Amino acid sequence: MSGLTLESVDRSGAIAEAFDELTGGTRADFFRKGLIGGGAMLAALETPALAQPRNTKKDVAILRFDLNLEYLQAAMYSEAERLGQVRERTLEWSRVVGANERGHVKAIRGLLGRDAVPSPSFNFRGVTEDDRTFTETAVAFEDLTAALLKTQAVQVDSRRVLAALASLHSVEARHAAWIRHIANIVPAAEAFDQPTSKTKVVRLVESTNFVTSLPRTRGRRKPGFTG
Amino acid sequence: MRPTWRSGFGAALVIGGLLIAAAVAVVVIAAPSDSSPADPALPSPPRPAFTPENVPLGGPPVVYWAPVLAATTVRDRPAGHGAMAEVEARTPEGTANLVLISRQAKRAAGRLWVRVRAAGQPDDVSGWVPRSSLGGYTPVRTRLMVDRGRLTVTLLRDGRPVFRADAGMGTPGTPTPTGRFYVRNKLHRYSSPFYGPVAFGTSARSAAASDWPAGGFVGIHGTNHPELIPGRVSAGCIRLKNRAILRLARLMDVGTPVTVR
Repeated sequence: MSGLTLESVDRSGAIAEAFDELTGGTRADFFRKGLIGGGAMLAALETPALAQPRNTKKDVAILRFDLNLEYLQAAMYSEAERLGQVRERTLEWSRVVGANERGHVKAIRGLLGRDAVPSPSFNFRGVTEDDRTFTETAVAFEDLTAALLKTQAVQVDSRRVLAALASLHSVEARHAAWIRHIANIVPAAEAFDQPTSKTKVVRLVESTNFVTSLPRTRGRRKPGFTG
Repeated sequence: MRPTWRSGFGAALVIGGLLIAAAVAVVVIAAPSDSSPADPALPSPPRPAFTPENVPLGGPPVVYWAPVLAATTVRDRPAGHGAMAEVEARTPEGTANLVLISRQAKRAAGRLWVRVRAAGQPDDVSGWVPRSSLGGYTPVRTRLMVDRGRLTVTLLRDGRPVFRADAGMGTPGTPTPTGRFYVRNKLHRYSSPFYGPVAFGTSARSAAASDWPAGGFVGIHGTNHPELIPGRVSAGCIRLKNRAILRLARLMDVGTPVTVR
């Protein structure tokens, strides 16, 4: 086992240099917010699901949580791809994995319809511009998502949602194994994978400080421009 | 030839034998392989609630901007000593200050440095700042082209024009500066008919108004004198009729690069 976790990635210092002096208190607790609301904002934008049975409250909560995690991953891969600062070899797998993660976002949003939450804003703190840290963070998030989906598989009410989550789970596990192999980490060191709890996921994601508040770029002060 | 009783008996024997053999075969095939009762039928697998498809990034290149989290110095190289400009965390209007990201990053002196474009004096400056002094990156798909000769502004989204309007610009004595700049903020609901209902702040500075209390920054805003548009009437700012600036406000994002020529 590599012992690679989000905590270890965060401790490396490559993700967040001197975070304390920068954004204390500006970080949004996006998972908690995601569970409370925000769906109404998307109501007008979403294409209604095609004659889908209504999701139970528990399934909506689980799917919203997953959506937030998928938003984070999709944003990270998209930013790395657009910035083009990691190695070409890294970009090759990142493009594939990113396209999968964006597909997950689209699919979950489609299923949630008006219950979907909007994406939070992110600050990846240089991770998308540093090859080694990007690869390590990708492994950590893919492992984390696979572990979370394992837990949720026994929690969802709907068998149809279970079938969908199972299809995500295997893809996330493939991502993890693929990137682990590239990073020279044993892809499957243990005989059994352990599930992880939502609480632990929240704690780990918060430890990265990737989720931020949008900066205030609008104001009401009288302009002082040259006129 | 007439069949004998012997041949008829033989045929009946053969048919009877075949029937018995068939019956035995049916019983053997139908019998369970062990003595336990048959397994209950398995439920059919459910149709998944969704089936994701790959979503490639696609689209034309975007520009990224980031807020300045802590005042910092723009340097000529990563961890270098040459200071090119000081960048504050706030604009004179009290909003978060922004820089454009130039997609170059390097590690130096144990830190990650990124190349940015920041508001300078008199023009934007390009140099290096610590990544830790910036917030998250936001992509922008729009670009504003300002034509001083034709007195027009054109907004492009993904390279295609989506908005065009006549504009008022600087007088010959106080010209609108030319070059590459970007939108830093968006002001609204203030009380000033002179600036119209919406005003965008840019990183451009008027050389003729550098001692202006708010730094002489050029804005893109509405007006209470629409009859002067188009024309060379301002102290450097780009003025649009109020209807046009309201439309532009719906289309143009903060961080949009601005080219004045």
